[in-house]
Amino acid sequence: MIKNSFSLIELLIYYIVIFFILREWLVPIMDLTKTGYMELILLFIALSLVISLFRIHFIASWLVKVAYILWFIVFIYDGVFVLSAEGIDFLFSDFQTNIEALMRADWPHITDPFRTFLFFILIWMLIYLIHHWIVVRMNIFYFLLLTVFFVGALDTFTEYDGSLAIVRIMLLGLIMTVSLLIKRLINNANIKMDLMKYLKLVVPVILLVVAVSSIAFFLPKSPPQWPDPVPFIKSAAGKGGSEVDEGGIKKVGYGDNDSRLGGSFVADDTVVFLAEASTKQYWRVETKDVYTSKGWEDAGYSQGELRAIAPGETIDYSLPRGPEEDTKTATIQVMDPYDFVIQPYGLKNVTSAMMSVHPNLEFMMSLDTEKIMSYVDRAPTALTGYTVEYSKPVFQYSALKDPTEEIDPMIGERYLQLPEALPDRVKDLATDIVEGRETPYDKARAIEMYFKQNGFRYDTDNIAIPSEEQDYVDQFLFETKIGYCDNFSTSMVVLLRSVGIPARWVKGFAGGDLVDNNGSMSTYQITNNDAHSWVEAYIPSVGWVNFEPTIGFNSSRSIDYDLETDAYQEDALTIEEETEPDEVVEEEPETQQTTPQENRLSKNISDFFEQNKFIFMLLLAAGIVCVFVLYKIRRKWLPKVYAALYRRKDFNESTFEAAFLQLLKLLELKGFKRKDGQTLQTFAKEMDAYFETGHMSRLTKFYEQSIYSKNASKADMSQMKESWEYLINQITS
Amino acid sequence: MHKQVEAIIENIEKVMIGKREVAELSVVALLSGGHVLLEDVPGVGKTMMVKAMAKSVGAEFKRIQFTPDLLPSDVIGVSIYNPKTLQFEFRPGPIVGNIILADEINRTSPKTQSALLESMEEASVTIDGETLQIRRPFFVMATQNPIEYEGTYPLPEAQLDRFLLKIKMGYPSAQEEVEVLRRSSNSEPIVHLTPAISLDELLELQDEVRNVYIEDSVKSYIVQLARATRNISEVYLGVSPRASIALMKASQAYAKMQDRDFVKPDDVQYLAPFVFGHRIILKPEARYEGVTTDEIVSRIIQKSVIPIKRFAEQ
Repeated sequence: MIKNSFSLIELLIYYIVIFFILREWLVPIMDLTKTGYMELILLFIALSLVISLFRIHFIASWLVKVAYILWFIVFIYDGVFVLSAEGIDFLFSDFQTNIEALMRADWPHITDPFRTFLFFILIWMLIYLIHHWIVVRMNIFYFLLLTVFFVGALDTFTEYDGSLAIVRIMLLGLIMTVSLLIKRLINNANIKMDLMKYLKLVVPVILLVVAVSSIAFFLPKSPPQWPDPVPFIKSAAGKGGSEVDEGGIKKVGYGDNDSRLGGSFVADDTVVFLAEASTKQYWRVETKDVYTSKGWEDAGYSQGELRAIAPGETIDYSLPRGPEEDTKTATIQVMDPYDFVIQPYGLKNVTSAMMSVHPNLEFMMSLDTEKIMSYVDRAPTALTGYTVEYSKPVFQYSALKDPTEEIDPMIGERYLQLPEALPDRVKDLATDIVEGRETPYDKARAIEMYFKQNGFRYDTDNIAIPSEEQDYVDQFLFETKIGYCDNFSTSMVVLLRSVGIPARWVKGFAGGDLVDNNGSMSTYQITNNDAHSWVEAYIPSVGWVNFEPTIGFNSSRSIDYDLETDAYQEDALTIEEETEPDEVVEEEPETQQTTPQENRLSKNISDFFEQNKFIFMLLLAAGIVCVFVLYKIRRKWLPKVYAALYRRKDFNESTFEAAFLQLLKLLELKGFKRKDGQTLQTFAKEMDAYFETGHMSRLTKFYEQSIYSKNASKADMSQMKESWEYLINQITS
Repeated sequence: MHKQVEAIIENIEKVMIGKREVAELSVVALLSGGHVLLEDVPGVGKTMMVKAMAKSVGAEFKRIQFTPDLLPSDVIGVSIYNPKTLQFEFRPGPIVGNIILADEINRTSPKTQSALLESMEEASVTIDGETLQIRRPFFVMATQNPIEYEGTYPLPEAQLDRFLLKIKMGYPSAQEEVEVLRRSSNSEPIVHLTPAISLDELLELQDEVRNVYIEDSVKSYIVQLARATRNISEVYLGVSPRASIALMKASQAYAKMQDRDFVKPDDVQYLAPFVFGHRIILKPEARYEGVTTDEIVSRIIQKSVIPIKRFAEQ
């Protein structure tokens, strides 16, 4: 019936429409992947459609299609005719390479010709599917939906402009959907249609679709209601940094522009670095010196001068270093290429294994911000990995306690800058906080600790942006008291500067999460969520010391308590051993308390799951599919299972009732459901009519007697058993 | 089928052509001690049916033709002063008999109708404080013309409830009608009818019917159906508990007729339209929409849940 339900002309029209819809798929793909030869691929689509239109025998159709694909590949990639010796040779060697690559699951090494081949196979399958949808299902809706989503997605996320394509797809697709619907209705109702009647139905539909589409096309449209998601996605990938968009919500991550701070953050788990180091530590990237009331800028004291640093050369910069013998090495693997180098405190030098690839590799440090970037052939280039040597500075407690307040005027000028408009109450507050503290370090400590109390709260949501007249720090300190690292660190710098301590704002990454532990070295995973900012204050006797005002983060200063006194005033405040920086303080103790063995075991287990994640997911998916399939075909196997279960029971008067009810259940599974209002007898008659026996009536009669009558029924049980088994066999066969 | 019942029905079938179901249902009523209301247009054989039935069981047959001017005393009898004995003497009316045909019951006044129906219910007549018990079997078969006909007094609901079953005769098929003509062209077949069973045997059968077992699950099924009639939007008044009793008794009789000593839900389902049909009162708007009580009952049956386990196990 289905075979003859489409005339050739009709199918031809449908296929032409399909051809144009498929073209809408192909155009953006070609466009975006910079693939050429669209005409030849379209020709393949047309060829496939024609073949399925004329129902050419599948062997012939396969031969033609495969021949076309091979010809195409050899012609495009090798420029020779497929049947020439060269062509065959090319095909074979290519095939061999790719099969090997496939076996190794080495996806990057699959060659372009093979990818093209797979692409053709995809088109082939798609056309077969469409053919099935039209001819058998007579419903093209899902394909249409998919097409709209595809073009819509490409239009949104790529530079492809699909605004006209969508109109074309809707127009063609709606006409197709409706005419197939008419076709389906006619088929279902078994109506014989002549051309006139058919046209009477189809023509108004087409007119309607065209009319509606053109009205929709020419009507004025409101601009997009949602912000363009692309910057979002890009910053999620770490490319756009924390650009402020109109909505005021930023994606967390490392960005260059800090001139307007404030606003909420959205978490982002994209991994940016994997750092293999002995301890968890802060990773510094750059510093900024000018506070503008709204954010941070670079004053450009050195006019943007860059200093070249050869790989391995000891870096000369502002920060102090620890003793030579404490030198450690950290290996950084860059997951999301940034062209700057992340620096541990006490950085000595940077080297990279990439030097073998890029002999002209050098590092450049900005003298303004101390940001170190990697350059190849004088152009900023992101490295995939590098190694840093560092010796973490250890501050002598006695030196820190030195009350010297004399500072180098150069440093004073640069790092005591404050905006003119800074409200006086900020300065007053700063003075209040440090009241009674003698040394610069004590003052800085007091300011650092100020944020841990006094009602401040860490949050990334609903964070205010200062208005035109407001000061960012003032707003945070006196009005909101809710914020994240930028609020805390900027405020601390401003407070420090207010009491005459030179300070600067530092950007970089917090320590990240421990993902692997291999002896003395641990691997930390640093994601965009770990992007962080903190404070460096200039303590005259020791130099730049890092401070961490943000709630929930711990400082990683190392202090050598060399003073022979137990009158440490701030013991309550200071737990300043080498604590590892950690954002979520509550989490850490748990992991520390577990014994190494337990740790190892649970880690092994989690590693096992992590490594075999895909296998588990596959197994799960396969399980779900299996359950679904089993459910779908339950009528085929469930009766057999039940029959096997029931058959084992002995069959006598006492088990008869149960056996009969099971029989009813089996019949129901098989699709013979007794309606609630149907008596057993009428149901039995129906069943007997279907199976052409009298067994069901016989069983039913006996059953009815046993449940409705007073007297225990008597019957030949062997006969009942025979009937019962006969029916079970009928059902399960 | 029960042998004696089969004999009665076969006997009736000798005179009534193609009316086996009506005959069966009449026997159901007879066996369970109820009364039957036959509703149909004149001339389809209602009277013949009753006569045949009476003759088949060897019972005394009496007929009351109801007219608008019929008085209650014409039905139940009068006390007459006997000058000889100087006493009032009770002369029983035609109601005192075994099988009574109350023909065109809706043509008479409600007063007379109720006199008949009261004696039907109590199986006795009372005149001047004197009660006369009517001997068993007492079986009234009333006929009525469809209510829409002019000059009729529709029976009140309370009275209708006294009939166990309401049966419609219906026209015979063309073939059957030809057969009717063929038979009546000879002598009247009713004349030659002989009793299939004796009155005593009938009384015995009636006793046996009362002993037919009905499982609690089936009883609850009857109640389920009865209660369902009370919760339907088109129905003004559902059936009474008396109707549930009637359905149970009728089902017992029907089971007995099938030579079975227990009642099945099948029996209940089969009889429900005849027992409930005349007891359900539809709302006027439903009636105007053409809903019939038979439809309501069959809908209830379809929606009902048959007990397929013992009562205790449910």
